[in-house]
Amino acid sequence: MLNYAVKRLGLAVAIVSLAMFLLFCMIYLVPGDPASVALGPRATDAMKEALRIKMGLDQPIWVQFWHFFTGAWTGDLGEEVLSGRPVLDVVLEQLPFTLVLIAGGISWSVALGIPLGCWAAINRGSFADRLVGVLSVAVIAVPSFVIAIYALLIFAVTLQWLPAIGAGEPGDPGDQLVHLILPSLAVGLGWVGYIARMVRASMLEVLEASHIRTARAFGLPENMITYRYALTIAILPTITLLGVGIGQMLSSAVFAEIVFARPGVGKLVYDAILTRNFPVVTGAVLVTTVIFVLLNLVADLIVGALDPRVRSSF
Amino acid sequence: MTNKNDHREIEMTQKLNTGLTRRSFLASTGAFGAASMAFPHMAVSQDGKILTVRSYSDLQLLDPAFRLSLPEDDIIRAIYPPLIRPKSGDEWVWTPVAAASIEELDDLTIAFTIREMGFTDGYGEVTADDVKFSIERIADPANESPYAGDWAALKEVEVKDDRSGLIHLKNKFVPLWTTTLPTPASCIVSRKAVEELGGKIGTDPVAQSGQYLLAEWVPKQRTVLKRNPDWKHEHGGFEEIHIVPIEDPATAERGYESGDLDYTWTSVSSLPRLKENPPADSKVLEKPSLAYVWLGMNQDNEALQDVRIRRAIQHAIDREVVVDAAYFGAASVGNGIIAPGLPGNRDAVTYDYDPDKARALLAEAGAEGLMVTLDILNQTERLTAAQVIQANLADVGITCEIKQNDSGTFWSLGSKDGDYFMDLQLVLSRFSMQPDPSWATVWFTPEQVGVWNWERFDNAEYKALHDEGIVTSDPAERDRIYKEMQRLMDESGCYVFFTHEVVGAIHKDTIDPGLKPNGEALLSDFKPV
Repeated sequence: MLNYAVKRLGLAVAIVSLAMFLLFCMIYLVPGDPASVALGPRATDAMKEALRIKMGLDQPIWVQFWHFFTGAWTGDLGEEVLSGRPVLDVVLEQLPFTLVLIAGGISWSVALGIPLGCWAAINRGSFADRLVGVLSVAVIAVPSFVIAIYALLIFAVTLQWLPAIGAGEPGDPGDQLVHLILPSLAVGLGWVGYIARMVRASMLEVLEASHIRTARAFGLPENMITYRYALTIAILPTITLLGVGIGQMLSSAVFAEIVFARPGVGKLVYDAILTRNFPVVTGAVLVTTVIFVLLNLVADLIVGALDPRVRSSF
Repeated sequence: MTNKNDHREIEMTQKLNTGLTRRSFLASTGAFGAASMAFPHMAVSQDGKILTVRSYSDLQLLDPAFRLSLPEDDIIRAIYPPLIRPKSGDEWVWTPVAAASIEELDDLTIAFTIREMGFTDGYGEVTADDVKFSIERIADPANESPYAGDWAALKEVEVKDDRSGLIHLKNKFVPLWTTTLPTPASCIVSRKAVEELGGKIGTDPVAQSGQYLLAEWVPKQRTVLKRNPDWKHEHGGFEEIHIVPIEDPATAERGYESGDLDYTWTSVSSLPRLKENPPADSKVLEKPSLAYVWLGMNQDNEALQDVRIRRAIQHAIDREVVVDAAYFGAASVGNGIIAPGLPGNRDAVTYDYDPDKARALLAEAGAEGLMVTLDILNQTERLTAAQVIQANLADVGITCEIKQNDSGTFWSLGSKDGDYFMDLQLVLSRFSMQPDPSWATVWFTPEQVGVWNWERFDNAEYKALHDEGIVTSDPAERDRIYKEMQRLMDESGCYVFFTHEVVGAIHKDTIDPGLKPNGEALLSDFKPV
């Protein structure tokens, strides 16, 4: 197991290093002068040059990359271009909003997707089953920003049940929860379809298993068979799917944060790209990459711990 | 006077889960289910105590010498009082804030006396020496303030006593009273506090002394201003002002319609819809803007070096159709760079829409079948305008390729530091200005070639007129000077002027918004009805 863990950790480090290299190359290729954009129309040539030097843009590209690479591994992501605040602080103060949003999205997808999948499996071949199938494909196909805009128009603008913008009053969990409902719905609704389809397929497989037949033969109640014996097994692939889905939810979160004017890493990156605030772009993308890689690493280690076949095949 | 710790309340850390217990979580979630279904969503502003407004960007620096955007200007003016500020209404006039009295003794001397005010954080009374420090630190080239030009005419500030002094100028500078003194360029900061900070103020202001104090800044979420309890003069209309950064105007409009905002700017293209069908209990405002939108032609680009080709393009474009299409009829056609109400505003340009003449000029220049590129910012209004321009040009035989750019790329296109400035051909631009015509003309002088003068329009007579304009007081003479400058721009063939746009805003009918004549908000002038 130790050997497996070390190999997986090495792979994670390699992935993060490669991501850093690609990220740096992409940033370097983006057109537009960060100093001109940051300082605005009144800046003199001398001011722009001073800012370029401060940002290290006067250095050869490989020197810039080396500073970025070595700094990042020691936790120094640089400073925000103008305010001089540490980028790590800037990113970490936005990160909880995005994580909460993704957690909210997962909650919606689980809360709706699992019961729908079960219902469809139990009523296999019925109109309800076909309806769930059509709805699942529909919500998978609709982009999250479309869901976000319509949810906002219906529940915030027309009905005025829920707020349209922001993340709620700082220090007021109730208000923050209310502000989370629509954005998390926008992020999670697409995954309701995935999960419903996955749960349905797994349930159908499990419901045919011999231990379920045995339970039925013993006369156990159908609800107990479905939810206690079948669902607990059928739900396992869904958990793996959710792990993969976090990456996609991170990208959906960008749209939700912009449409709902909600703070978060996605909006931070979006704003930073527009203002060519490159240290913030690289820092924010790097932090989210590391989180994603770490989550996958943890998932792999858990699977490896539970299943010896995975360990031996690596 | 309050002590240092009383005002160190700025909370820049997130409080996402602070104080969340199982009991409070269950209570709040349970209550939510019932409350949200039973009651419509309630606005934040209640009882005229809290005003919630949108700004188009979050604050980045709260230093009057290094501020970056308009939303910061208003916050800075609220916490560091300026000597004077613009007065809300339809005329460009000023009103004193920190100044008990201020008057022009002669063309080169301004006398001022400041009111009794105190700094927070234990930095004592505001003195004339702080005024001297605040102004001279902006003017001093060594400090590299982007706003040094506002005080380019400054010789020195002389301190007479604790509260009074004289501002001495090196030369006459007419825009001083319109675009320098009423801006954050006259905001007063504490010499002692700024020196302790190392010369610059960041996002954590110390020694505030204005009508409001910065009580809280949650990055990307909101800024909260609270009335300064030690402010001894007229108070702002609301006890608290909550400023929510929302870049996208459409998002802000939805936020307003859902009741989350009391006031917001709107996009120009939304104005007709909002005016026709305003949200309940709301008022829609339309104000003349100081912006100007134009099509620029790079006269140094090989394809556009012949002035006949540039003039052909001027004649090929139907400006009225372009403006109508882009702004849904909300904006009218403009005829130059100087907005209505200011000296130099024109009634007409010197070229007309005449496709036949355009074709003839192109034939004369041997430029039939010309292909050009048109760079624009990736915004809906610009794209619509560009598509009409493209159709107009196609009508006279010019093929136009539209190139959309994000803001970071767009604002570097014509810079001589880049590698595209000579390839740039047509560009659709929009600038905004301060309420003095020199603020529009300054960007097209020869010194600005390759900086912001992307048309590379290089005219010595224009430059001489610009210099003359900023030392001329007589309004009629200024009017003549600035009209002549725009005539020279027409004559170069480098410009097709489209519109000054309008500024749209929407607000609850329970508030009386304090707005500059161009619709920009003066937060401390907002009042409950």
